[in-house]
Amino acid sequence: MLAFNESLVALNLDAPDARTVIDVLAGKLHGQGLVVADYGEQTYQREIDHPTGLPTKPFCIAFPHADAKGVTESGLALATLARPVIFKNMGDPDEELPVLLVLMLANRDPAEQVQTLRNLALLFSKPEKLVALRDQPTAEAAATCLRDELDLDHDAETRGGVSERRAS
Amino acid sequence: MSRLIVVACGAGINTSTIAEDTIKARVQKEGLSDVEVKRILMADIDGYLARPDLVMVVSMMKIFRTFKVPVFQGMPFLIGTKDEQEVLLQKILDVLRKGT
Repeated sequence: MLAFNESLVALNLDAPDARTVIDVLAGKLHGQGLVVADYGEQTYQREIDHPTGLPTKPFCIAFPHADAKGVTESGLALATLARPVIFKNMGDPDEELPVLLVLMLANRDPAEQVQTLRNLALLFSKPEKLVALRDQPTAEAAATCLRDELDLDHDAETRGGVSERRAS
Repeated sequence: MSRLIVVACGAGINTSTIAEDTIKARVQKEGLSDVEVKRILMADIDGYLARPDLVMVVSMMKIFRTFKVPVFQGMPFLIGTKDEQEVLLQKILDVLRKGT
């Protein structure tokens, strides 16, 4: 199970730096009871040591995460950025990337999320999908768009809209 | 003895899982049953470099040192197109076939 809904979306976030973006998204994950209170700090430290900026097309994205220790239940948070924020390139930490979209995957157990990770990699390689996700007018629409791309409702009997069925 | 490929990333959780999954699926499809693919933390890599069964390192991050085994940059598994991934998979399979 992966928690994701419109409460975990920061649409058109105007942030001065990567730290702010990470804190906002970690705050949303914490607000849903998915991660510990200092997950933002953990993730930011991890980002300094091992950056997660990715030179995707047509704009760069970042994929910040810390290890599983701070995660109670796996969840995903999304930010679309009002203006580019600098993240370092995962493949080359000397390179700064102007990032316009950030996906924070707080993952408790990677084996549990293999299919979602596969779908994320597919999304990262498709420029038109990244543009579509960034262009959604509301947090709700962005959440629905990303749920579709990642096939998060695959196991559901019916489409449960935007609310997570976390009790199951 | 089985042959080991390690897939290294910073947290050893999301990024390396994607690469591990892609390489594993292909290695299985090619019938290379003696190949083990394991994701690790880059911080733990030294413990694996000493292993005699290690045949390859796939790193999601830039590597600032040399190893006695071939090293590939695994970024295409995360953001590459199918074609870019295929090019990298062929390089990996070439190394594995040379070793049999």
